[in-house]
Amino acid sequence: MPSAKAPPSVAPPTTSNETQEVMKHKSWHLDRRELLKGGGVALALPLLNGMGKAMGAMSKAPGEGGMPKRMLVSYFAYGAYMPDGPSGVPARKKNDPKNEHHQWSWWPCKDAGPLSFNKSSAPFALLKDNISYLRGLDHAGGWKLGGHSSGDVFATGADMMGAEKTNNISIDQVAAQRHGHKTRYSALVLGTEGGTGSYGSCKTLSHRGPGRPILSMHKPQEIFNRLFNPYAGKGVEQVRAGLKRDASILDLVLEHSQSFKNRLGRQDQGKVDEYLDSIRALEQRVERTSKWSHQPLPEIDTKGLNLEVSHKDPEEYIRCMYDLIYLAFQTDSTRFATLMLESEQSSSSEMWNYATYVLGYKGATHDIAHKRPADYSGQWDQWRAKQHAYFLQRLRDTPEGDGNMLDRTLVLWGSAHPHASHSTKNYPIQLAGGSKLGFRHGHLHEFVGAKKVPLTNLFVSMLNAVDVPVKKFADSTGPMTEVLR
Amino acid sequence: MTSWSQAIVFFQLTLLCPLVAFGATPIAPGTDEYDARVRPFFKAYCIKCHGPDNSKGGLTLHTLDGDLASGRGLERWEDVLEALESVEMPPEDEPQPDEAERKVVTDWINKGLGIYVEKASREAPATTARRLTNFEYENTMRDLLDVDLNLIQDLPKDPLKPYHFNNTAEFMLLGPEQIDRYLQVARTAMASAIVDPEKPETHKSRQEWDSGESNKGFAKSLNRNEIAIQNSRRGTPGQGMGVRDFPRTGEFRIRFQASAVFPNGATELPLRFVMGYSLNINSSTQEVTPVGVVHLRSPRDNPQIYELGGRIENYPVQLGKVHKGKRRPDTLTITPQNIYDDGTLNDDNRFLYWPRQPDMPRAVIDWIEFEAPITEVWPPEHHTRILFDSPLRQSEPRKYVHEVLSRFMSRAYRRPATTEEVNRFLKVHDLLKPELGTIEATMRETLAMVLVTPQFLLHTKADGEVIGHEFELASALSYFLWGSMPDKELIELASSGDLNDSAVLAKQVRRMLADPRSNDFVSNFTNQWLSLPKMKTVPINRDLFPRFLYYVEAGERAGTEKPYIPTIRDHMIDETVAFIAELIRRNASVTNLVDSDFAMLNQPLAAHYGVEGVEGHRIRPVPIKPDHHLGGLLTHGSVLIGNGTGSAPHPIYRAVWLREAILGDQVKAPPAEVPALTDSAGDSAEQALSIKDLLAKHRTVESCNDCHVRLDPWGIPFERYNAIGKYQPLVPKEGTRVRGFDKKKDNDLAGYTEYVESVNMQEVQANARVPHGPNVDSMPQLKAHLLKSRKHDIAENVIRRLLTYGIGRELNYRDRSDVEKILSLSRENGFLLQDMIVAICQSSTFRGATNNK
Repeated sequence: MPSAKAPPSVAPPTTSNETQEVMKHKSWHLDRRELLKGGGVALALPLLNGMGKAMGAMSKAPGEGGMPKRMLVSYFAYGAYMPDGPSGVPARKKNDPKNEHHQWSWWPCKDAGPLSFNKSSAPFALLKDNISYLRGLDHAGGWKLGGHSSGDVFATGADMMGAEKTNNISIDQVAAQRHGHKTRYSALVLGTEGGTGSYGSCKTLSHRGPGRPILSMHKPQEIFNRLFNPYAGKGVEQVRAGLKRDASILDLVLEHSQSFKNRLGRQDQGKVDEYLDSIRALEQRVERTSKWSHQPLPEIDTKGLNLEVSHKDPEEYIRCMYDLIYLAFQTDSTRFATLMLESEQSSSSEMWNYATYVLGYKGATHDIAHKRPADYSGQWDQWRAKQHAYFLQRLRDTPEGDGNMLDRTLVLWGSAHPHASHSTKNYPIQLAGGSKLGFRHGHLHEFVGAKKVPLTNLFVSMLNAVDVPVKKFADSTGPMTEVLR
Repeated sequence: MTSWSQAIVFFQLTLLCPLVAFGATPIAPGTDEYDARVRPFFKAYCIKCHGPDNSKGGLTLHTLDGDLASGRGLERWEDVLEALESVEMPPEDEPQPDEAERKVVTDWINKGLGIYVEKASREAPATTARRLTNFEYENTMRDLLDVDLNLIQDLPKDPLKPYHFNNTAEFMLLGPEQIDRYLQVARTAMASAIVDPEKPETHKSRQEWDSGESNKGFAKSLNRNEIAIQNSRRGTPGQGMGVRDFPRTGEFRIRFQASAVFPNGATELPLRFVMGYSLNINSSTQEVTPVGVVHLRSPRDNPQIYELGGRIENYPVQLGKVHKGKRRPDTLTITPQNIYDDGTLNDDNRFLYWPRQPDMPRAVIDWIEFEAPITEVWPPEHHTRILFDSPLRQSEPRKYVHEVLSRFMSRAYRRPATTEEVNRFLKVHDLLKPELGTIEATMRETLAMVLVTPQFLLHTKADGEVIGHEFELASALSYFLWGSMPDKELIELASSGDLNDSAVLAKQVRRMLADPRSNDFVSNFTNQWLSLPKMKTVPINRDLFPRFLYYVEAGERAGTEKPYIPTIRDHMIDETVAFIAELIRRNASVTNLVDSDFAMLNQPLAAHYGVEGVEGHRIRPVPIKPDHHLGGLLTHGSVLIGNGTGSAPHPIYRAVWLREAILGDQVKAPPAEVPALTDSAGDSAEQALSIKDLLAKHRTVESCNDCHVRLDPWGIPFERYNAIGKYQPLVPKEGTRVRGFDKKKDNDLAGYTEYVESVNMQEVQANARVPHGPNVDSMPQLKAHLLKSRKHDIAENVIRRLLTYGIGRELNYRDRSDVEKILSLSRENGFLLQDMIVAICQSSTFRGATNNK
């Protein structure tokens, strides 16, 4: 189209047929009537994106069988130390019989095949049968973004600089659209810096759709309250009364906006539609909150949970964030989460000093990626590995059904660039968990040369494993059978 | 070889006698003509690189649709047109078409685009509807409610893209989170705007300091009521005044009596007040917000009383710590800071510790009073502006509410609210009333809901004649030039229908530019246009430039930049913004962007650049001489630092900046696999030397060379300006290892100077031949070349940037003819900046399609 700029031409891989049908049945007016019967929670209260419906095993939606299937995408910035070829793929010519430079490589072993663990990846040694390393993957949409910005599309694979112009829906939100109604919160979006950041320097991994980043939360106390104390001490009745009123007002605002829209020029009506969609989404959230107010909140044992932790103690802080995700999963408050552990553009936050606090490194955390001091960057990668392994271990130590929580949780962990020059190709990628969701672990797989496929192929397989039957996600070319049973 | 100056002459000629100048026959639009005339041209000059065998720059011409009227591939046609018009293509080392050949093809494309645009604009005008940017939102709330609150820290950030504006309609998307936050913020704001009827008690605190001699440790010989530079010594006012049991909303007032001591003969001392956490402890969790700056001029025997104020809501409160099971009260600390800076404070790195600065000016504060809320008028004016006094309030409460809503909504919507609109909110009011009870509480919530409607949050254009388009014009003007809602005068002119008159419009634009509110526009526009903010995060190499920033010397933050004081980097951004503001104020020519006979400086900046005779913190125009190596934008510290590595200049960054921000070219990002230059050079003194070599090496790779051959030469002439934006013609000898700066040995200014002279021995090479242009040696010749040959491009670029910002969308081929019109109008009077803005506001693109009727 010649006019201004065409809307993103790549259809977001969002709605399966079934989801669309659900939307059709759920006319907003019908919902509201139901809502008025039910009552709910004050409109501005819950910022968790979308409120789910039933909580825990005790409150499964009718017809919902089986155990919950969960997913976490976790991101670290600045890449990792890969002293191999130009993009972290082994340089075949290199003569290093003792394999020394590999001891601090982010990749646990040199060659594709069964996993063995070097110093950097040692914290994962005990999780050998629960993890896979995937070498040679990346998002084509990230290539043009540059090394300081490609993290924007880590969970979306969007072609921001090309056809799509803006970021697009993230993998967690695709899953949440499909299954989010089954839990109190459709998804949990966390980060260490909070907010959305801006174009090229995202502070969140999650995006609702084109150009709609979802604010990440980064304060442990706030996250805890939103998760487990959402009514802020108010009685449920009081909360419901407030919501009843909010619903009526939203109704009027919606009418008001509708008649305004009709007066506008054709070209401007689309923008107001975007607005109306947002109001309707708030409406739906009000409705969900109302429904959920009939379910008791989970009792949480806060012992050992330090919610006052500060960035000054990165280990405590990161573990607290992981603990909160663990609790949200364990109580089935949500099944889909993202965690932006670090962001590239963090010079104004405490993230900048993490390596100093942790390792005593004299300089910004970011510099470790550039200066390649093998000892520090290796230690830094090892420290990150330790924190992530802590989370995986916690899931694995929690029995669930005939297995453990990790068996039904897919955990993607990685970064959007490999090494010192922040190239935007060949990401460090580790996938953990999901043994009972069809995944097979214990290997390093290599996707280079003729075997190269888009990273989004893995996304397709991950989504399929949590019962989201998509065939395509962003630029994917099919599922990733290598990691499946 | 074709030069740009010839092209300009040629262009001007053709304006006088179109189409006949070179006797070339124009090509009629249409595919037949394309096949007959244009395709052969491509075949002769372009297809080798942009055809089936090669697609340099991602462009292939053999697949282009010759039928321009179809509207297909127009963006690419525009690229072709630009490359041909700017004589950038074909590259110099390839066969060149003559002027006439080039001209017939560009005319053909231009005409085809024109025909298409005419056809298309009748069908689907471009989308300009967008939400308010956060900057516009905060300003609008301030002007609507008369309460100046910091609101945007709770809103998601606007999408930001280097060299683009954050008000671009297509990126400004809305989602439920955003609306949710808007509602929270609106509730917060309404809680401040509408007060409860009973007058609150006023909190007052006062602290006094006597002039006795302080005898505590280092502070010896500093009087107890004195503040040395950046000093917060115990027992002096510099430690701050803690306030407890203060109200959480409302206006506050700080009064104080102050004077100054000037042992060095200075005449002015800037005293800044910040409020929030106590700065007296060494911790990284402090937060403060500036209250204001006063300039002390009176001596100790003639103290003056000063007053500052603001809203308490905007200041961070330090929460009381829990001590033995009891929570201590929250505090707000008022800290006066002596921020005198003559640029010599780093001459000795321990200088900032009293008593090493006995000759430096000290502030004297006898007492400070804090008072809040201010209740002399109660309820305050901002309250009665909404809930005005009227007998209706008692006699006909419903009619009163209607009137309140009607007045408020008409201001919030920037046009008269319709009866239907008002009635709907009357219903909202009725729903809320039973639960919330008082009119104050009910109106707070009702009006908060008004503030989340699309009428308030979006810039839109109405269809047909329902509501006067003149109101839209009033808003377009005020959001362009003030970043806020229209004032009474604009609204009145819109109501009377006079605003669309070009003369009235021109008068209004000049009035608005003279209004202090236009500072917001200039600052917001300039920061984004020139991509300035990045200069604040460039890590400055402290070993190479130990005297540039102030660092914390001891404690857990040792080695980091001193927080909570204005820094030289802040001054540099102010310098650039003030420079643009001054050009607009003077209605000066855009050529001043390249070179000017004045610079905007204050004392710290003047000291940095080596200009004598500037005293005080206020930035003002200062005449400059050639040996200052200043003038124009190109030598601003903000530009040079932001486009350097912090250790070394970076010719590519600077070249990209020059081409994007000044010449208006779009420079392609390098392919992802290329290692960034900064990664391999510039991190240390030794490596900093190899940038030029690296570039040369880079250019030997053909795929790199295609772009770099047109890029690097623009950055090389900047090389004599170092990474902290200072003129530095000498650098260490190539290939030598220089010794690092030794803090102990090279402690003071003399030591530093000696160090610098001992390592910098060799003249910087700064000559390069610019593409399609002459050999340019260093900055003066670069400027001369730009002024001689690129004036037209620079003016067009400024027009495009202003227009893009003004209408909130990216320009495209449809806007070409309007830009041309403004440009030729502007050329007639010598590209005067203020006139340019007037012409932009008068253009049909800015006024909107409605004006064409």
